[in-house]
Amino acid sequence: MTIRCSDLVKTYEGGKAGWPALRGVSFEIKAGEFVAVTGHSGCGKSTLLNIIGLLDDPSGGQYEFNGRDVLSMSDQERSSARLGEIGFVFQAFHLLNRLSSIENVCLPMMYAGADAREMKARAASLLHKVGLKGKERKTPLELSGGERQRVAIARALANSPKIILADEPTGNLDSVSSREIVDMLFGLNAEGITIIMVTHDKEIAARARRNIRLRDGRLEQ
Amino acid sequence: MRALLNAVKTGFSEIWGHKTRSVLSFLAIAVGSVVFIDAFSAIFATYNRLQQQKAVSGMARLKLTQNSGLAYASTEDYTPPPPIQYEDVVNLREKMPELYMISPEVRTWHNVFEYGGRRMVTSLTGVTPEWIKRDYIYMLRGRFLDWHDVDNKLRVCVLMRKSALPPINGFYKSRMRQWNYTANFDTMVDHNDLLGKTVIIDGFTFTVIGILEELPYSKRPSTILGSNQDYKVLAPVTTLSHYGFVRPNQSLEVNIDTGNERTFEESIRRLKNFLKIRFGYEESGDEEYFIIENQLDLIKERIGDSIKASLVTISLGMLAFIAGGIGIMNVTLATVFARTKEIGIRRAIGASRGDIMLQFIVEAVMLGLIGGVLGSAIGYLWGVPVKVMVGMDASHIKPWMPLVSVFIAVMTAFVFAIYPAWVAAGLKPADALRAE
Repeated sequence: MTIRCSDLVKTYEGGKAGWPALRGVSFEIKAGEFVAVTGHSGCGKSTLLNIIGLLDDPSGGQYEFNGRDVLSMSDQERSSARLGEIGFVFQAFHLLNRLSSIENVCLPMMYAGADAREMKARAASLLHKVGLKGKERKTPLELSGGERQRVAIARALANSPKIILADEPTGNLDSVSSREIVDMLFGLNAEGITIIMVTHDKEIAARARRNIRLRDGRLEQ
Repeated sequence: MRALLNAVKTGFSEIWGHKTRSVLSFLAIAVGSVVFIDAFSAIFATYNRLQQQKAVSGMARLKLTQNSGLAYASTEDYTPPPPIQYEDVVNLREKMPELYMISPEVRTWHNVFEYGGRRMVTSLTGVTPEWIKRDYIYMLRGRFLDWHDVDNKLRVCVLMRKSALPPINGFYKSRMRQWNYTANFDTMVDHNDLLGKTVIIDGFTFTVIGILEELPYSKRPSTILGSNQDYKVLAPVTTLSHYGFVRPNQSLEVNIDTGNERTFEESIRRLKNFLKIRFGYEESGDEEYFIIENQLDLIKERIGDSIKASLVTISLGMLAFIAGGIGIMNVTLATVFARTKEIGIRRAIGASRGDIMLQFIVEAVMLGLIGGVLGSAIGYLWGVPVKVMVGMDASHIKPWMPLVSVFIAVMTAFVFAIYPAWVAAGLKPADALRAE
């Protein structure tokens, strides 16, 4: 699993020339790396993560996801890649509140067409793995912030992704929960999953093997 | 298939989670369904009545009446059309023996009927034995009029005993009280066995030789030509003329059954020829002395009217469906905007555009299905038990009508959900995730 960006540009519409979020970003991330993407607010971290996660298109430059040119991929191919190869963990958790924890974890497997019984067994085992045994039937609204983020991690792991993209996963958590979530992500990285994490936290960034620092949409090496 | 089942499951939870919104959106579809079933059943009731009419009387019927609506330029020009008299009917019978029925009829109203010291108002109809060849079915006690009665102008009569009315609502009850001037006569015949008794009509004694009992409403073949003519007392047509019950110039109405649909046109031509020779009948313009009502044309006219009315109702049903569809489109669009973030989440975890489209279409189709089923149930309840309770005829609801109605409801929902579903599927995942 390799991610290769060269001269990546993203300009949001608005105003005469638009608003540039990324102004020529180039880097390569190899399988198994733990990369922290840091920088001030508005420097383009989340935009970069969205492009890496195939949620958004770059306005210019080249992006190769696992050897495939992303710009030539169809929507179906991108959806399949998100479904099978990428897991997302968001700052705001982005769980469906009317579904239970186990149903939230089942969702990606449902889109992958998994068998209902296998799907439930795997979701239960993933919730067990992230320390939520016995809370399978609880909805996100009945869980603490840390627990919700664990559900989100379990959901990200549902289809055994090769890469997890975490957009400030500790941003809404207290220090104890933050440490637990970060430890969990490092644990997953130790299992061979590539982690790309956007963070403001210098301590967490310092623990990462590699940092990509952005400043005004450019790389600051 | 699994994706579809999952979409159905999610759809249920969405509909259940937003009950008010869901009820409002499928209600309009349900209204369309009710109107549709009612209109369809009305059309089929018309066809059903036609079939029954054909089965009972065939199509080869005519009614010959004097044309009392002739227009003249001035009073000097006025010459009344010649009346059809009993001798003309006898003459016609001799000329056209092949006709199955030639039944003359003359009627008087407000005759005074006396029996057992009681006086009441009735209506008298002069007929011949051929009257019995009509399609109207009664049970006879005693005997009917025969040619001996007619030829000898005997004062004999047959009384009509009315069957119980079907349950009717308050409005009709009050109308019937107002217009049924022979109610006392009906009660008299109902409560006294008058067979063989002597009664007095307008001062003349008559012997009751038969009682015709109307069939109960439930057993009658319904017709569309007004078979429920309100006969009270039947007597020989010659007796009524002889004793002055009818004016000498009062014309007879003649009901004719040619007996054969294939020779129907030929019979009409010969009848016109007979009238031309007898009365100088002119076929064209306003100069016609007689009106020949053709049952086939009449049936076609009635069916045409009924179908026109039903088409209007069906159009209203279709409009209700379209309104319901627009309602579903509106609700689905609102749902798309309310669930933009959810769409973003689903897209982020791997749902394709097709998955999102399927999700919204399935939800809308489920609303259409619920609306269609609900509307069909209400349509059936309205068409059968409720209508019967309020004294109307029950609708002829065939099992396929609710099915068609549900199918149209589902298809309407499907068609109107395509645009909102397409909007939902077209949202960019990153933009959708940013939605508040």
